[in-house]
Amino acid sequence: MGRPGFVLDVDERTPPLLLHEGEGFRLERLPLGSQVIYPPESLPAIVDLEGAIRRALLHPHGSDPLPELLQRDMRLTIVFDDLSLPLPPMRTPDVRQRVIEQVLEMAAAAGVDDVELIAANSLHRRMTPAELKRTVGERVFRAFHPDHLCNHDAENPSDLAHLGTTAHGEDVEINRRAAESDLIVYVNITLTAMNGGSKSVAVGLASYASLRHHHNVHTLRHSRSFNDPPHSAMHQSYDRMADVIGGHVPVFTIETTLNNEPFPASLRFLTRREWEWNLTDQASYLAVKRSNELVTGKLRHRVWQATEAPYGVTGVHAGVPSQVHPHTLAAVHRQQLTEVQGQADVAIFGLPYICPYNVNSIMNPILVMSLGLGYFFNLYRGRPIVRQGGVAIFYHPMPNEFHPVHHPSYIDFYELLAETTDPVMLETKYEKQFATDPWYIHLYRTSYAYHGVHPFYMWYWGAHAMQHLHDVIFVGGDRSTTARLGFRAASTLADALELARETVGRDPQISYLHAPPMVLADVR
Amino acid sequence: MSVALQYHRSAGRYFAARAVSGTRAGGRLAGALAGNLAPLRLVEQTEPTPFSESWSRIEPVLSGICGSDLGLLTGRSSPYLGPLTSMPFVLGHEVVGHTLDELPGLPRGSRVVIDPVLRCAARGLPACPACLTGHTSRCDHVTTGRLAAGLQTGFCADTGGGWSRRLLAHASQLHAVPDQLPDEVAVLLEPLACAVHAARRVLIAPGASVLVVGAGTVGLLTLLALRKLTSAGEIHVIAKHRHQADRAHELGATQVISTDGATRALRRSTGALLVEPELGQSYLLGGMDLAFECTGGSAGMNTALRSLQAGGTVIASGIPAEGVDLTPLWYRELHLIGAYASAVGEEPEEGDFPEAIRLARSAPLDGYVDTKYSLEQWRNALDHAAAAGRLGTIKVVFAPGAG
Amino acid sequence: MSGLREELRLLSHGRDWRGRARVPRSAKRWELPEAGDDFPTAWARTGTAGAVRHALQQGVLKPVVWSQTRPAVHGREYLDSVRGPAIFVANHSSHLDTPLILGALPRRITENLAVGAAADYFFDSRTIAAATTLLFNAFPVERRGSRRGRSLATDLVDQGWSLLLYPEGSRTVDGWLTAFKLGAAQLCAMKDVPAVPIALRGTFAAMPRGRRWPRPGRPRVTVRIGRPMYLEADESVPEFRNRLVRALATLWAEDDLGWYRALRAAADDSLALPAGSRSVLPTTTSGEPAESSDVAPWRRVWEATRPPADDGPRQVWTD
Repeated sequence: MGRPGFVLDVDERTPPLLLHEGEGFRLERLPLGSQVIYPPESLPAIVDLEGAIRRALLHPHGSDPLPELLQRDMRLTIVFDDLSLPLPPMRTPDVRQRVIEQVLEMAAAAGVDDVELIAANSLHRRMTPAELKRTVGERVFRAFHPDHLCNHDAENPSDLAHLGTTAHGEDVEINRRAAESDLIVYVNITLTAMNGGSKSVAVGLASYASLRHHHNVHTLRHSRSFNDPPHSAMHQSYDRMADVIGGHVPVFTIETTLNNEPFPASLRFLTRREWEWNLTDQASYLAVKRSNELVTGKLRHRVWQATEAPYGVTGVHAGVPSQVHPHTLAAVHRQQLTEVQGQADVAIFGLPYICPYNVNSIMNPILVMSLGLGYFFNLYRGRPIVRQGGVAIFYHPMPNEFHPVHHPSYIDFYELLAETTDPVMLETKYEKQFATDPWYIHLYRTSYAYHGVHPFYMWYWGAHAMQHLHDVIFVGGDRSTTARLGFRAASTLADALELARETVGRDPQISYLHAPPMVLADVR
Repeated sequence: MSVALQYHRSAGRYFAARAVSGTRAGGRLAGALAGNLAPLRLVEQTEPTPFSESWSRIEPVLSGICGSDLGLLTGRSSPYLGPLTSMPFVLGHEVVGHTLDELPGLPRGSRVVIDPVLRCAARGLPACPACLTGHTSRCDHVTTGRLAAGLQTGFCADTGGGWSRRLLAHASQLHAVPDQLPDEVAVLLEPLACAVHAARRVLIAPGASVLVVGAGTVGLLTLLALRKLTSAGEIHVIAKHRHQADRAHELGATQVISTDGATRALRRSTGALLVEPELGQSYLLGGMDLAFECTGGSAGMNTALRSLQAGGTVIASGIPAEGVDLTPLWYRELHLIGAYASAVGEEPEEGDFPEAIRLARSAPLDGYVDTKYSLEQWRNALDHAAAAGRLGTIKVVFAPGAG
Repeated sequence: MSGLREELRLLSHGRDWRGRARVPRSAKRWELPEAGDDFPTAWARTGTAGAVRHALQQGVLKPVVWSQTRPAVHGREYLDSVRGPAIFVANHSSHLDTPLILGALPRRITENLAVGAAADYFFDSRTIAAATTLLFNAFPVERRGSRRGRSLATDLVDQGWSLLLYPEGSRTVDGWLTAFKLGAAQLCAMKDVPAVPIALRGTFAAMPRGRRWPRPGRPRVTVRIGRPMYLEADESVPEFRNRLVRALATLWAEDDLGWYRALRAAADDSLALPAGSRSVLPTTTSGEPAESSDVAPWRRVWEATRPPADDGPRQVWTD
């Protein structure tokens, strides 16, 4: 049984603490009195996963057992979370494969012929055949690819169905095949509290016309945080949309939750508390760090991207989305929630090498921003980790690198930032242009590019943080890139704190969110 | 006695300069080359005497160094132009100065700028068809008549050039400069007239999108002319240096883009499709309506050709260089239009020079000339001119009266 | 390389030379229960290790101890009846005790003997643990309320090993006997094996706590082995423990009183026995039992450091 998360007060006997910084990590001595928010230790994984999945399918929440929902001449659409989950990609067999295989067993037993599998990639890039195969497994891939196992295409008008509008006038437009099915089975991995629930179908299968109602600056500034669905305007919009979808097509969802084992055994020290590091941990820290610094950037990139997480599954819940999701959230909280007393003046975050949008790709500066000011800043429930007007310090080298195939619109978006970094300005002036740009649409549909509007969403992701924070400093950040994004760069923590002093004074309260592994700060 | 910077025939220097500047490193060393390898010498000459009543001696106050001058000095200009010059000649065709002789309608001592084209009128010839219709820059008689061959003042052995203390100019070449224009602006009138000329070479539909490649003197003045004389819509300027970008913004550029990633930025603002060949530069399918090539380099021309939509027009304002891939011209059915010097037009006020003078009165052209060199400092001056963009200068000039 | 040095500096910051960091105060609450002794000792009970140990004991340890002290061993003959595992129970005042006992016991027994060693003392560091385990066939014993489920001792007895235990739990401070813990008696009761008392005299004088080498001058030391003792049918564990203490005290007193008087004193119950946690005089030269609290500390040390009598003709009957 793992120990719960806790808040460490840095005292004289606290050894230097580990911080992620892109494709690397370092030990850093934090000032005395700093608080460090540690995640709960990894929970034990379900040993009999096959049995757990089977039980979930046979005893769903708020629904008949799955076999009873399956009929011979029905249209069945199985939708699954795309490449952005989990992070890093989990060691095969992926839990989605194991769920899908059982669902298909039942469908086969019921004699269902018309089965379609769709990756819920929304405006994300399409998954390559190899990535699809890795996610659903060899057997499913062979049986369905390429005709009946495909990516969602949010830019093919004939593939979309407009299901109406919500009470708030939000358009609901999703994948036509899914909308016209007799049953959608959604296979989910809930890695953070923002995933799953209404989001699955309402976002994963949506089009730009639908997404723009919640993926915008206004909504994100009122989602505090977007990892706390009850207080997230974004999730309320998802819920309204899910209701509309629910009125058209029944959705049977299977949500799975993972434990806190994102790194393989060779990187075990990344998940251990530093004062408990034994000689092996220290030696492997040194060895990994040194060799990581010695190899070329390309090789380092390859090695990190090849990292597979030995995640264990902590929960499988199936049934009606609205009834399943509370169980899922409870499981996520069990694994990730750490209670924190009071807000800090300065929050420190070490940003890792991966975010949902650079799997098998490159983490460009805009993704760094969204990882830091979007995802990490929003890893709270209640109040932000850092107070209004405080300072956030991130660790990331932020190189000016872009993946030419995956992120073409990001390259152009980066140029816009020379003009303004204000999310509202960008939204009003350029969002439409990027969203409708035929080249981006062409690349999204036929190549492996994120949609033209996606970099805007990334920028909106940080909109609340930008409003909330007085200053943002990147330790070790490339100076010109950091400046382009409207942030400041510092070469050391001491320099960063010196810069922060202008804002928060001489003796600020500092909090360091010790993640990954994932932790959600419950700030009281 | 008069001092002048004379260009003389020297095959050795010409080919040496040409060979070195052709290499990649040589391109960067253009300044040093211009200073050291150029077939140029400072000579003492006797005071020239006007050929007739309609000629006047001119005492230059300021005399600009043009990109084409540098091209010539580094051996990069085309041999095509060789027969259109007469050796030895004194360079300098961007001149503001004072007349030293009385001319009809122009009292002695008037401040003037020179339209350098040595056309039929200056040569004492009856007007050729081009001159007759006011297209004086297209004059066919630049090698005959009273004067030695020379397409412009500054390339003709008989008239002298601006890089000296004295030269000769025909009354038809002279335009009085209004008192309110300082010398530093007046010296820009010749290139501005060229820019006006370029802008008038094509009919620009209202709202058409225009690309100006290069933000040196020619590029900026072209931008000025386009903004003032046409109703072009978006004007995108490719600028290499920060100070050029600032001036381009000042002159009304919609967007100023840097040289790397220019195609990409144009794609973004036009929504065109970007195509990336396995070798060579990427290009657009769709794109801008017009492009003014103002660098005189192959890279600039390639970018211009690859950024236009089908049926678009490229205007070559700079002297086009070798090494341009014309496939897009063929495939996209583009128009390629040259724009050389300036014309007087059919009516006196229609001319490019009068228009340029009108524009200069209101345009923010202060600070374009920030360094003046005496003729004796010609090596430094050429060094500086070759690296002008990098050094934050738009136009380097000689002040022949000084020193 | 300066990077590496910096890295090492950071890595070692706040850690001792074995790479262990102190637990930050605020993390104490979440401190992992220490894995106790993870140190494996099974390897030391293999035949090879046994052979090495025998060579070390006979070739190094015994010659050194026997050259630095003058040991006298009595009662070895009582061991002839011991077949199978037994629990050897000795008083403990010096690091000399174990080598002396090992040197005094016959090979038949030592090659099958494991020594209980304080886990927190001998198994704290891996190097010392390894040396102790190899040389003495030691196994860790928790002396302060075991945090681990069960001790290795029962397993060892099950496997046929005899054990040498010091039920006082620690070396005495003043040379006197201190109270015995129940563990050894319990083990005998549980496994139905005999206990063999061994009294050591003079080791406190020769090399007390704090000394790393015996006093110069080859001090005299005595090892007295008593008769194996079995738990009586209706005897409780504490009763057996008390009987053990008495037997040991008798052996202990033999040096002062001679064999018979010691027996007499034991029979008269005039041997003062350790009780509770306080140490008491096991005997008095005057024959008067005295509570330790009545005796000045110097007297206890004084008595304990009295050299054992020379091996003269033993006075069986005295005046």
